[in-house]
Amino acid sequence: MPPFQDIRPRDSGRGLFTPAETEQLMRVEFERSQRHGMPLVCLLIGVDRLSTLQDLYGRDAREEILIATIGSLRRITREHDLLCALSDDRIVALFPHAAPALGALLARKLLEAARDMRFEREGRSLRITLSIGVAHNRHKEAITFDTLVAVAEEGLVVADSAGGDRFVETELYQLVEQQRRARELEAQRARQSGAAPASAPAQASVVPGAPPVRAPKLGDTLLDVLSGMGVRVDDPDSLDKDSLTRLLFRLQDERAPIANTELADERRKNDVLERRIAKLVSQLGITESELKRIAQLKNIDLGIASIYRDIQGLGGQDSQGERKREMMAEIFAANFQMKREIEARNGPKA
Amino acid sequence: MSESSGILYVGLDLGTSRTSIAASNGQRATLLSYVGYPKDVVSRKLLQRDVLVGQDAVDRRLALDLYRPLAAGVIQAEGPLGEKNLRAAHDLIAEIVRRAKPQPGDLVYAVIGAPAQASMQNKRAILEAARDSVDSVILCSEPFAVAYGVDMLDDALVIDIGAGTTDLCRMRGTMPEDADQITNTFAGDYVDERLIEEIRAFAPRAQFSKEMIKAIKERHSNVSRNAPLVVVDLPVEGKPLPFDLTDPIRNACKSIVPPIVDGLAQLIASFDPEFQPRLKQRVLLAGGGSQIKGLDRAIEEEMRARLGEGRVVLVEEPLYAGASGALKLAEETPAEFWEKLK
Ligand SMILES: Nc1ncnc2c1ncn2[C@@H]1O[C@H](COP(=O)(O)OP(=O)(O)O)[C@@H](O)[C@H]1O
Repeated sequence: MPPFQDIRPRDSGRGLFTPAETEQLMRVEFERSQRHGMPLVCLLIGVDRLSTLQDLYGRDAREEILIATIGSLRRITREHDLLCALSDDRIVALFPHAAPALGALLARKLLEAARDMRFEREGRSLRITLSIGVAHNRHKEAITFDTLVAVAEEGLVVADSAGGDRFVETELYQLVEQQRRARELEAQRARQSGAAPASAPAQASVVPGAPPVRAPKLGDTLLDVLSGMGVRVDDPDSLDKDSLTRLLFRLQDERAPIANTELADERRKNDVLERRIAKLVSQLGITESELKRIAQLKNIDLGIASIYRDIQGLGGQDSQGERKREMMAEIFAANFQMKREIEARNGPKA
Repeated sequence: MSESSGILYVGLDLGTSRTSIAASNGQRATLLSYVGYPKDVVSRKLLQRDVLVGQDAVDRRLALDLYRPLAAGVIQAEGPLGEKNLRAAHDLIAEIVRRAKPQPGDLVYAVIGAPAQASMQNKRAILEAARDSVDSVILCSEPFAVAYGVDMLDDALVIDIGAGTTDLCRMRGTMPEDADQITNTFAGDYVDERLIEEIRAFAPRAQFSKEMIKAIKERHSNVSRNAPLVVVDLPVEGKPLPFDLTDPIRNACKSIVPPIVDGLAQLIASFDPEFQPRLKQRVLLAGGGSQIKGLDRAIEEEMRARLGEGRVVLVEEPLYAGASGALKLAEETPAEFWEKLK
């Protein structure tokens, strides 16, 4: 995924967070949704032929088109949806509490909005179209935020290569997740072999002449684990059970204080995250109830937001529950009556 | 979800021109409300089927006895064609339910949205037609289903523009009664006729069929002032010539706005004055005819000019608004009601 980029200057100061913060918020939001089993939708949006348009009409045209695209995205988003432009000018949008079906709906709305945009350049009117990749967290392999974005990215690529002006939902979660895991493992290995402490190898090769490790797989795993602990083993054949036990004890002693500070560090980070999450959640609550209050006050319908309410089953439902039950009872009574009349005429259904 | 419970909930929108279904297993389908039966043994052999439904039926109409069982907005079960219409409706419902792909052994519980003005007799006909395809049925009025789908249950007005009729329905938190509903014929077919008149006046030598005009309308319908230019080739003495139909299309589409606002005004005027302003702010636009671009704005403008204010919200998916509202109602109806209606 390309690095996140600030969209504030393009956006007349409406963005509240820096790109890094937005990315962090998206990750937190993703984790939260996973934890609570809440649905969430991610869209990755690209303007078709953007660089061609820039070549033809200049950097300003590109900016103007992007601002308009972000503007139309803003119109279909709620307060707590998250938006960010990537450094390659594609836009990520995250919609918490949104069921998968909403992804397609939102994408369709965006495509329509883009088609309605008008840009005049050198007396010509430019047609703007978008390619959109859609992903959701309801697939069992959609277990990280990066997977989600990567799947959306796949969709965007497919949409774009099919000529643009469309959205694509792929089901590549499993594949993307596998690739992601493989990459992570590789990076970890690279990091570890590069950062092994200089004193370690000497300790590991203290026992010469020991019998070779038999199971090659197990041996590899062991080497992996050791290297993960910062121990490089030059001669794998030199390890036996006793020397390993000794080594492990010593390492444990050495590492205990380090582990403690690491733990404290992690705790602190977690604390901060939890507090941010709590704040976001309470802000979300306030926003929702405020929206509801204003809507009632002004007799307005929230439009797309009210549709969200249905799909998420968040609010609204409860206040109308009683009324719905009454109406259902009425509908039922009318239908029951009708059924009895029909049966009286025809005899009951076989 | 429904696979494990063994119950498939479906919402059905039985329309004059289209029949749509939305089901709790996520399936959706829509069919033209046409049913055809092979005219004779030869056609049957050729088609290798006893019944054709939807577009299939329309495409092969020359070899078929073609029925539009809901042509008048309701199943015409009386009269000389009554029996056959009923059978056609039966086959239409059977096909659309099949498209929702119930698992073998699933109970199918259906809410069917019927035209607002359906009489008792009509409703009975619908129930009979549905009897073999579903295990339990609830009927409700079509505009009600649309409003239910978007949770606008009280102080709202629904405009449902179909082919033959436009239904206006006032929602006030209870089941709509006769006084809450107005039906007029300023709907899709009326726009087609107006468009034909407009084109005749504008291009007297152009030749066209009703179907062509309807297709042109569905493709280019727009009432906004800045609608894009519509240039369509129409044959003149067998040779296609381009015509600018922007204005004729706009005029024809616009013609249904005043009568719609007449109806709205009537429903608003007879409502509790305290809530009239709220009603004006909550107008829901649905039905195939709502796909005319800019229609929501045009109705708003007319409302503002005549009633002082107005806000019109377009349903998300005109094709499925009725069916998905009915589905929502089906899913939220308590189990014991369904049991009793079996
Ligand atoms: N894009 C469109 N623009 C204008 N009218 C349309 C469009 N699509 C469909 N219609 C019209 O909508 C009508 C059908 O609406 P529908 O709600 O399906 O009717 P019914 O409920 O009577 O079956 C037809 O007159 C059709 O021509």
